[in-house]
Amino acid sequence: MVSSVLAVAAKDATQELRRRVATLAVLFFAATALALISYAIGPFGLPEDDRPPLQAALFWIILFFAAATGLPRAFVQEEETGTLLALRKTLPGSVVFAGKALFNFALFLAIAAVVVPGFLLLLDWKIASWGLLAASVLAGGYGLSVVSTFLSALTARASQKNVLFVLVAFPLVLPLLVTAIAATLEAARGGEAWMPLRVLIAYDGAASGAAYLLAETAWED
Amino acid sequence: MVSSPDAVPTTTTLSAENLDKRFSGPPLFSGLSFSASRGLLAVSGRNGSGKTTLLKILAGLVRPSSGRVTLSRGGAALTPREQRLAVGWAGPDLAFYGELTGEENLRFFRKANRLVAESGEIRNRLRDAGLSDDAIGRRVEEYSTGMVQRLRIAFARLFDPGILMLDEPTAGLDAEGREMVRRVIEESRRESTVVVASNDERDFVDPDQRIALGGR
Amino acid sequence: MKALKLLLLPYVAAVVAAAFLWPAPAKGFIGESSRIVFFHVPCAWTSSLAFLVAAGASFAYLRSRNPWHDEIACAAVRTGLVFGILTLITGSLFAKIMWGSWWNWDPRESSYLLLVFLYAAYLFLRSAIADPERRARIAAVYALFAVVLMPFLVFVAPRITASLHPQTVINPQGKILMDTPTRAVFFGALAGFSGVFLWMLSLDARAARLARSRGVREG
Repeated sequence: MVSSVLAVAAKDATQELRRRVATLAVLFFAATALALISYAIGPFGLPEDDRPPLQAALFWIILFFAAATGLPRAFVQEEETGTLLALRKTLPGSVVFAGKALFNFALFLAIAAVVVPGFLLLLDWKIASWGLLAASVLAGGYGLSVVSTFLSALTARASQKNVLFVLVAFPLVLPLLVTAIAATLEAARGGEAWMPLRVLIAYDGAASGAAYLLAETAWED
Repeated sequence: MVSSPDAVPTTTTLSAENLDKRFSGPPLFSGLSFSASRGLLAVSGRNGSGKTTLLKILAGLVRPSSGRVTLSRGGAALTPREQRLAVGWAGPDLAFYGELTGEENLRFFRKANRLVAESGEIRNRLRDAGLSDDAIGRRVEEYSTGMVQRLRIAFARLFDPGILMLDEPTAGLDAEGREMVRRVIEESRRESTVVVASNDERDFVDPDQRIALGGR
Repeated sequence: MKALKLLLLPYVAAVVAAAFLWPAPAKGFIGESSRIVFFHVPCAWTSSLAFLVAAGASFAYLRSRNPWHDEIACAAVRTGLVFGILTLITGSLFAKIMWGSWWNWDPRESSYLLLVFLYAAYLFLRSAIADPERRARIAAVYALFAVVLMPFLVFVAPRITASLHPQTVINPQGKILMDTPTRAVFFGALAGFSGVFLWMLSLDARAARLARSRGVREG
């Protein structure tokens, strides 16, 4: 099972490396958003105390919208190029879903790898605990990847895909984002982040389980 | 014929019971039943008569509105994975990954199923479908229609299926290509079931069974 | 069943009248505003119930592939949306009276807002898929996926930040802190609203079934 999942993720990665459609779109979005925010508020545009909550919130807002730009490509591209049929013929839904979620998680981490330095440089972000920051990015990003990949499977064949994706994702992803923001805030302030991290892990587990079980039904026909 | 250590010796039986398929409106076909374990099954009918849909239903890609498709081997039903691998299918809307080469495409499908995906063997399969060594190493986005069709045939046979389904197998092929398809059908029908759907009667050489669709 | 339906209207009328006339206003609330609990809480309750009904019907649909189950799921979401909006409106009125502003981003309020968004997302998803079988299947999968993530929405978000919301009826001590008249009207209202919900649900589902048999697309 693991090797099958890795094979699917590797295939997506190979395609992406040769084509670079999603990575460019996503990085361009993240860079633009960073530039805009930096220009608008800059490192000193806000009073000292207000900064940490706002920075934590902006951090995850950028990550979410960057993800919404690039992650749905997982299934949408298969649908548009007509390759979904070959996949459905040869592989079970759960394997394809897991492989694509894995690839999307890697893509998410690539986005984070750009946004974190961006925040440090452009917004003078101060982080007390790097370990907590890493944990919140990993746990939050994983959940976001799983939910985005699953919802992209659902919306791949619908009309108005882009708008539809954000609308159906928003109610499900909001608790994740709120919790991730709380965890990131504590990481910045050096506070106690165990409670939000625990919630994130629980969310990740629930989402993974549900997605895995429903994957086959999601992509019939 | 390409042999493979993964080929299963016993024959696979395909049976359909009371298949019915409708979209909105009158049914495409109804009460369709048959069974096959060896030989050539010809599916004929005008454009739009449901040949492609029927093959997709038999291949497990589309759900019938009612009725059942069963695959069995030695009397026992097959697991979902066995079913996927026991039925090879190729049709006009089968597409491949443009950024990958022909060889990489097939290698992916085998690896993802945890099967041996040795380069030499895959290249042999592609050569058997009439693709040149140069084509095998080129990205599919550079393939001509004929080359894609040959890749489709190679894909359908990738897991040495007990049931081979070919929908319009000679579409877009030159005389050499059509000859290759004829050979594939003749070789396969001896040991397994070959279901061929086509508008072209020349694709059906002495069929063992025939389903004629489109009696509306 | 028909007798129950006929009784529903006078029953609800009686409950509404009682809500305004019988119990005295509760302490700690401004003026008569505590009476809102007879309307606001049952709306919140039925709109959450709707979600469970939708999830159950979705599960049933995926097993049976019977369109009727899908119609029930869709009707539950639509009716749940109506009650969800009513929850938000009654809650907002109460907030205005008690705390002077229409909306406070109180976590409990916000989680109902999200529930309403979820219902709207479900309906939007349905409207974006043309093929009826695929629409039913995708909507059912979405509903089931959402129900797994629901606890995080409803229970977690309110915990992360402190809440302005009055203490809930079911509280940590496990006792129901209401006097007898209040309790009677409250549970009466709960039953009445649930009845209205089920009645609206069945109307909507049957209308959808009728539309399907006539070949009209759901609207």
